Amino acid sequence: MGSSLVDLKNAVSHLFYTLFHPFDGFFEMKFRKKGNRKLALFLLAVYGVSSVFSTQYTGFIFNEFPLHEMRSVQLFLMAVLPVVLFIVSNWSTTSLMNGSGSFSDIFIMTCYSLTPLILFDVTTTLLSNVIILEEGPILTAFRYIGVLWFCYLVFCGLCTIHEYTVSRNILTLLVTLVAAIIIIFLVILYFTLMETVIGFLSTITTEISKRW
Amino acid sequence: MKKWMKIMLSLVLVLAVFPGITAQANTIDNHYTYDYWGEEIRSIPAFERVYTIDEDSMNVALSSMDDVAAGGGRIFLIDSQQSRMNVFDDRYEFVTSVKLLRNEDNKIVLDEAGNQVALTNPEGVWFHEKENEIYIADTGAERIVVLDGTDYHLKRLITKPDNMVGVTQFRPSKIIVDDADKIYFVVQSGFEGIVELNQSGTFSRYFGVNKPKVDLWDYFWKKISSDEQKPKMAKTYAPAFNNLCIDQDGFIYATTIDTAAQDQVFRLNPKGENVLREEGYQKVAGDLTVSNSFIDVAINDYGVYALLDRTTGRIFLYDFDGELINIFGKNGDLDGDFKSPSGIAWFGDKLVATDQYLRCAYVYEMTRFGEAALGAARCYYNGEWEESAELSKEALRLNANYDLAYIGIGKYYLMQDDFQNAMYYFKLGNDKTFYSQAYNGSRNLWVQDHFGLILTAILLCAGGLVYSEYRYYRKKR
Repeated sequence: MGSSLVDLKNAVSHLFYTLFHPFDGFFEMKFRKKGNRKLALFLLAVYGVSSVFSTQYTGFIFNEFPLHEMRSVQLFLMAVLPVVLFIVSNWSTTSLMNGSGSFSDIFIMTCYSLTPLILFDVTTTLLSNVIILEEGPILTAFRYIGVLWFCYLVFCGLCTIHEYTVSRNILTLLVTLVAAIIIIFLVILYFTLMETVIGFLSTITTEISKRW
Repeated sequence: MKKWMKIMLSLVLVLAVFPGITAQANTIDNHYTYDYWGEEIRSIPAFERVYTIDEDSMNVALSSMDDVAAGGGRIFLIDSQQSRMNVFDDRYEFVTSVKLLRNEDNKIVLDEAGNQVALTNPEGVWFHEKENEIYIADTGAERIVVLDGTDYHLKRLITKPDNMVGVTQFRPSKIIVDDADKIYFVVQSGFEGIVELNQSGTFSRYFGVNKPKVDLWDYFWKKISSDEQKPKMAKTYAPAFNNLCIDQDGFIYATTIDTAAQDQVFRLNPKGENVLREEGYQKVAGDLTVSNSFIDVAINDYGVYALLDRTTGRIFLYDFDGELINIFGKNGDLDGDFKSPSGIAWFGDKLVATDQYLRCAYVYEMTRFGEAALGAARCYYNGEWEESAELSKEALRLNANYDLAYIGIGKYYLMQDDFQNAMYYFKLGNDKTFYSQAYNGSRNLWVQDHFGLILTAILLCAGGLVYSEYRYYRKKR
């Protein structure tokens, strides 16, 4: 029990070190095994929850979302699934393009990078309750800082764990985008086919049950 | 057992005799309005039909109904097929019908050739209250006929002025006159704008800017085509106005049914620019899912305007700020439905709408909800805040979906500096701009009340910072 608490403390301190020193932080994560998968998973979940939280609790003035038809689970998935999609598609491209990062590396790196997004999301949500319409640009600025920081972390992280140059990294990111589109296409195809199969089976079941 | 059967049978009979008992729930089904998110929500009508003027109401033949004007306690209806103007009084009783034009001595007017002068396929009419004159757009004869407002004798004829420029034909279709006696009329599919004539009948100018939509694809083709190709391409003309009306302040409201136009409803300032106020949840464009074609607009003396849509047969009521008050009427085959609506006019607090195909005019009166909702708009326009809030509350009692009323009450409380109540009502009405104003006021009050607390917090933070720095440097030394 004691040792796991110490582990957690070390992992969190490493996380905050990484936020400000991404190259060193991600290097240590990869080569000195300082990354913590459980913490990464926790961050991913917190990211989903924070997107639900910000939809629900953004102040009335800035909340354009029709709260009467809010679906928490849907919002959670809409936030988490793109991240998972990015991880999967990036892993599938980089493993073909001489990237040296493992799936676990990419997963931990991406989830750690979500931290500024979460922090600024929560901050803007709380702040939006105490400011007026004219002060709205503050919120926008905060959001942009979070997004830029996130992009910076992901970019540095990819360079470090795959041991890429900058130009190579950009190329891989473009290929990742294509891979993501292909994955979405396959998923849709799978679900459409399954729908047909299930429809066929249910028709047969009905037919049989009507006969006897 | 037999007794029980009797009771059941009588119950069935009672229900059959009074179908209203079972059907009442469905009577407001086709009435709706839009909420903040553009979703349809149920609403009750602000107006209901009380009377229908049709062929049975008059002793002359009736073939069409193309335009309506009202004023001086009378309704003027234009029949372009029979070339007649039919006049009704405020009890909807037939007064007279004008076809042949007569002079002051009640003699039929003859032209130079000795022919009788008569209306020829007129399409528009306007009652000019200030001079007690009736202006008829005599489209077929390419002239404007001015009649006396009392005994309908011919005052003057306005034909095409010599100084008129441009390619627009002098075929006035819909006509209005402003307080300076200037005449404005539209020519159907005239792309140069509304024609403005001086009081004397001389040409003044073309008026009103109607911008076509910019199509990126067209722009691309125009960009790459050669100079020889360009003249052969189809020209893009400015969309034409098809109807117009004028408000208390002399601003001209115009509509267009051209789908290529950027806007459909216009409030034109003297320079001819569109200055329509659109402060509502959505733009002033009628329905959100259907593209409407507004055939006529009518505005009353407190800025509430009614747009008559030909596609759906609906009448949209907007207040001065461009906020949607109510939607009523429809195209259909039931009694009171439209087939081909053509014109609308305010008749005091009533609305008169004509239908070309059905050859009738419907007279609408306000319902209790309409009286409250429009009364609130009137009081707000006239600066009577308290009465406006009272009427808004009355409107809410009748229709809790009427979001404008929440905003109206909120504005009243905001003016009283009652920020908490104002915020409550603005939140219900989903008005972020005014909510923000009210919240600003309440936040200022909070800061004033807790100034000591805030100052203490700031001082503590600053003190802590200074102390930690001090300790840090002492340790270092």
